[in-house]
Amino acid sequence: MNTLVSYDWLKEYVKLKETPEEFARRISLSGPAVEKILPLYPELGDKIVLGQIAELKQHPNADKLKIVKVDVGADGGALLHIVCGGSNLELGQYVAVALLGAKVRWHGQGEPVVLEPAEIRGEKSEGMICASSEIGLGEAFPNSDRMILDVGHELGWDKQTKKSIPKTGTPLNDVLGGSDDVAMDIEVTSNRVDCMGMVGMAREAAAILNRPFNWKEPKFPKLQASSSKPQVKISAKKECPRYMAAKISGVKVGPSPWWLKRRLMSAGLRPINNIVDISNFVMLELAQPTHIFDSATVKGGIDVRLSRFGEKIQALDGKTYELDETILLIADDEKPIAVAGVMGGEQTGVTLNTTDVIIESAAFDPVCIRRGARKINLQSDAQLRFEKGLSTASPPVAMARTIQLVLELAGGKLEGGITDVGQTKYKPQSFSTTVDEVDSLIGIKVPKTEMVDRLRRLGFKVGVTGKTIKAEVPWWRDHDIELGRDLVEEIARIEGYANIPGVIPFGLRPRPMSPELVWERNAREILKGAGLSEIYSYSFVSKDLLAKADYDASVLLRVQNPLTADFEYMRTTLLPSALQVAAENAERFSEQRLFEIANVYYPQSGNLPDEQLELSMLFLGMPEPWRAAKGCVEHLLDEMGITDVEWKRLDNDAFWHPGHTVQAFAKGNLVATVGELSPKFAKNFKFDSPVGLVDIPFEAMVPLASGSRTYIPLPAFPEAKRDLAVVVDFRVEFDDIAREIVRANGHSPIRFGVEWFDTYRGDKLPLDKKSVAMHLTFSAPDRTLESSEVDGLMENIVLGLKEKFKAEVRA
Amino acid sequence: MQDQLNALRLEVETAIGAAKTSADLDAAETKFLGRKGALTDLLKQLSTLSAEERPKMGALANDVKRQLEMMIASRRKQLGEEQYSQLSLTERVDVTEPGARPPQGHLHPMTKAINEITEIFERIGFVRTRYPEVDWDFYAFESLNMPKDHPARDEWETFFMDAPVSKKGKMVLTPHTSNSQVRELERKEFPVRMINIAKCYRRQSDATHVPMFHQFEGLYVDKGVSISHLRGVLDYFAGEFFGPDRKTRLRPFHFRFTEPSFEIDITCGVCGGTGISAEKQKCKMCKRGWLELGGAGMVHPNVLKAGGVDPKKYSGFAFGWGVERTYSMKGGLNLDDIRILYKNDLRFLKQF
Repeated sequence: MNTLVSYDWLKEYVKLKETPEEFARRISLSGPAVEKILPLYPELGDKIVLGQIAELKQHPNADKLKIVKVDVGADGGALLHIVCGGSNLELGQYVAVALLGAKVRWHGQGEPVVLEPAEIRGEKSEGMICASSEIGLGEAFPNSDRMILDVGHELGWDKQTKKSIPKTGTPLNDVLGGSDDVAMDIEVTSNRVDCMGMVGMAREAAAILNRPFNWKEPKFPKLQASSSKPQVKISAKKECPRYMAAKISGVKVGPSPWWLKRRLMSAGLRPINNIVDISNFVMLELAQPTHIFDSATVKGGIDVRLSRFGEKIQALDGKTYELDETILLIADDEKPIAVAGVMGGEQTGVTLNTTDVIIESAAFDPVCIRRGARKINLQSDAQLRFEKGLSTASPPVAMARTIQLVLELAGGKLEGGITDVGQTKYKPQSFSTTVDEVDSLIGIKVPKTEMVDRLRRLGFKVGVTGKTIKAEVPWWRDHDIELGRDLVEEIARIEGYANIPGVIPFGLRPRPMSPELVWERNAREILKGAGLSEIYSYSFVSKDLLAKADYDASVLLRVQNPLTADFEYMRTTLLPSALQVAAENAERFSEQRLFEIANVYYPQSGNLPDEQLELSMLFLGMPEPWRAAKGCVEHLLDEMGITDVEWKRLDNDAFWHPGHTVQAFAKGNLVATVGELSPKFAKNFKFDSPVGLVDIPFEAMVPLASGSRTYIPLPAFPEAKRDLAVVVDFRVEFDDIAREIVRANGHSPIRFGVEWFDTYRGDKLPLDKKSVAMHLTFSAPDRTLESSEVDGLMENIVLGLKEKFKAEVRA
Repeated sequence: MQDQLNALRLEVETAIGAAKTSADLDAAETKFLGRKGALTDLLKQLSTLSAEERPKMGALANDVKRQLEMMIASRRKQLGEEQYSQLSLTERVDVTEPGARPPQGHLHPMTKAINEITEIFERIGFVRTRYPEVDWDFYAFESLNMPKDHPARDEWETFFMDAPVSKKGKMVLTPHTSNSQVRELERKEFPVRMINIAKCYRRQSDATHVPMFHQFEGLYVDKGVSISHLRGVLDYFAGEFFGPDRKTRLRPFHFRFTEPSFEIDITCGVCGGTGISAEKQKCKMCKRGWLELGGAGMVHPNVLKAGGVDPKKYSGFAFGWGVERTYSMKGGLNLDDIRILYKNDLRFLKQF
């Protein structure tokens, strides 16, 4: 939560001598972070100055224009000759004069433009007498059309001695205090609602910089007990632990004095009238919101209660809100008059005709306020503070301050006493820490006296017994300080974290990383090296996507509050996402090789889902994508040291192409499904060529993986090489042929190698036949094989193949 | 014989001079000096000479032979060099054509970031772990000192699973990696030095937020762990990950599961930490020269207790930062919309 803090205002409560820049740097290291430093009146340069009208006469050629001679403090008393159409011009009036070269916003509209000398209906004009909206002050000094800014009137100089009025020619920015002030945009953490008020911020600054804190708690005026104080009942005690009300009669509603307007504007609030402005000012000063009702519109007593279903209120923003039983209300005998802690009702708001007011200062349950505001979607500065949690000791302070200001600025009389309902005796909390705990947690030694002093500067009441420091929490830190450890933070941050040296801990033997994480990292590198591009897709997928890939969403874990239907079901397979990615890229990339390694989430009844790391690959745009897929899996298995893989055809899973799919098993475990997406589903993704896919249960693969290798001695004698091509039925598998060839070896020590290099089907063979061509190698451990010996082995092989597969040797 | 030898020498010298290629030279060598060559023929005649003449002529013939061989060798060398010097013409190809590359794969930027983060922390003894990405409320919130009504829990914008509530609360998609803290503590292996990198989920999607993202969670719990250690470790990480030119600072912050809590800032890589851009304008990337790197803090005693660890004996620090955010703050990446990371547009992925 950010707040705008006027540096000048802050200095009312704490003695500061740094520049705003220095202040920002230092304070950010120990307290709230200053994020930006902004000028107060960005549209006032040094060329808009205070002027006084010295002569005023009618323009000879235009009814609505005047010729004005203005004293802008020029050397020798020269007057500026300006043509002006302002309807409220008066002799002797103090005005804002834009000198030539100043930037103004014509009629308060559009971008600022540079003022140049002009001739208006034959009369020269050497500057401009500005309306407030033309120099960015429209909100501070609302003006009607054709009215210029009457500076003296707005700043209350009518009542002042001449002496205190600045010299003509003084830049208006100086006159308004903008040159000596900045607005700091400060981030306040949610636990420090006290710093959402100027006094809290000042206390913080005083503690950090070790400077005097000058704020004095406001006091109630002398009260007489009276029966005419406001009647208040709290029906919702849990939601409203304390409610204070006071009535002031005979107030005069009007514009606020400049000092008050200025403070509100520095915090980004728009001045409205003195009563409303006072309420806002007190909130900005003390962080405790108050609300002020027009007493005449409140019928009977005040009841703090939960709303009834279907009740409505028109709030001060003009909109009507429908309420339910969870919304806390302030109501009178007839109607809701405010959404508690959020916004008052339009009907009971203060207007220019108001004469009697009721001031509310209360404590509300933060959760109730937060949920209520979210529910009806109504936010306000008050609600932002209440929902962070304000102390029940806070309302009297704000009440006293509000009463003080109303009496001072709007007059009137406090009717009787102050109603204070719900409050039981406030008991501050106390926590302890020890010098050793502080030192060991910070990592450097801080003197005990310094620890105590820091806590005292922050408002804690501190008692010391030996090494134990006991601190009573000041009320403004009620929802923040919760245990002794919080005291350590207070001491440490005032130290300034920049002063705590960094030390890298050493001397520990970490446990090794799990093989799963090691192999996951390796697998990514292997696949990247093999030319695949890695994708990261969302873990939650849509029902539509699942359906396109023939997966049933109803058995998956569902997100109860998905962002959109695209992110609804926790996937148990990575393949649909891969297909979607490939389809989206297909127009630009005809050839794709993709992979992803990610968790999938298998639902388990009564337990968390079984999170399994899986690996998917996708191949598109090459001839025989299943072969590319299989080759890549073979490569991966090889790199992971998984040998002895058995491949088994998969032809009974509807998702997979029944003629192009195979599964790999190692030590009886399924380690990969490799093949193509069934054309039946490929068309759902609008692929115009077959898609190769790989699905690997990565976690099942990891225990089989090995980084170590066993050396097999190199053959001492040269290998004999022969090629063989056999014609067999097209359903005979190469793996079986290879196995049969090796079997033909019997128990002889001669080593056989079989390497596939081509399969032919086509015109030169009958339709149901194929020719399989292989390189064969033979080697004996103890000698070079004679050619005749190899011939004999080849004969055996051919014979075996004939017998087993009716194979014929292809010439 | 002497005349014959001299004539032959002259003939051979001419032939050597005339040879244009090494093949010509080979032919000449065979013709004159070969086994059936002219010189051999001459030498055969030596036997017909007198015993007096024979050694003289023999020596002369050998002399001639040696000289000729030397001439051939030198000519051969010369020819060879000429031949190589011609290669730029005879065997010229357009070398500006692209090379035949091996297939080029790409790792997703998140993988690169995760690898780098893992390696940096490995070097100072933090080991990567893995904990559930779908977890119980207890681990995601309750055990992290976030009571049910606490506003902090609204801020996470959590996804809930459509599943029955258990003793450990609702089933949620982890909105941060901090669920690993109490799970790691439950292992009861001290010291704890963990880096948990996992997917996280929050209900948000805009230029700087994605509903699924990654965090890395560091946890160090031992006897006597202090803010000094936290600074040391995070400074080390920042120096390794962002380079030695970037500075860090610790600011007070507020998190429920740490006390004290910090925000770590790093100097802006765009404006060099000045807050002023090259165009002399306010830097758009940062706040007055600083970028918020992420939160950290000393593990809250209640979190240690929830993990069955005695906060009087042990202390620790923890941090949980967004991988995407941290990576995008590295100089030079220029990601203007973080969502592109998960669009899987190959034009994007192939840049990494």
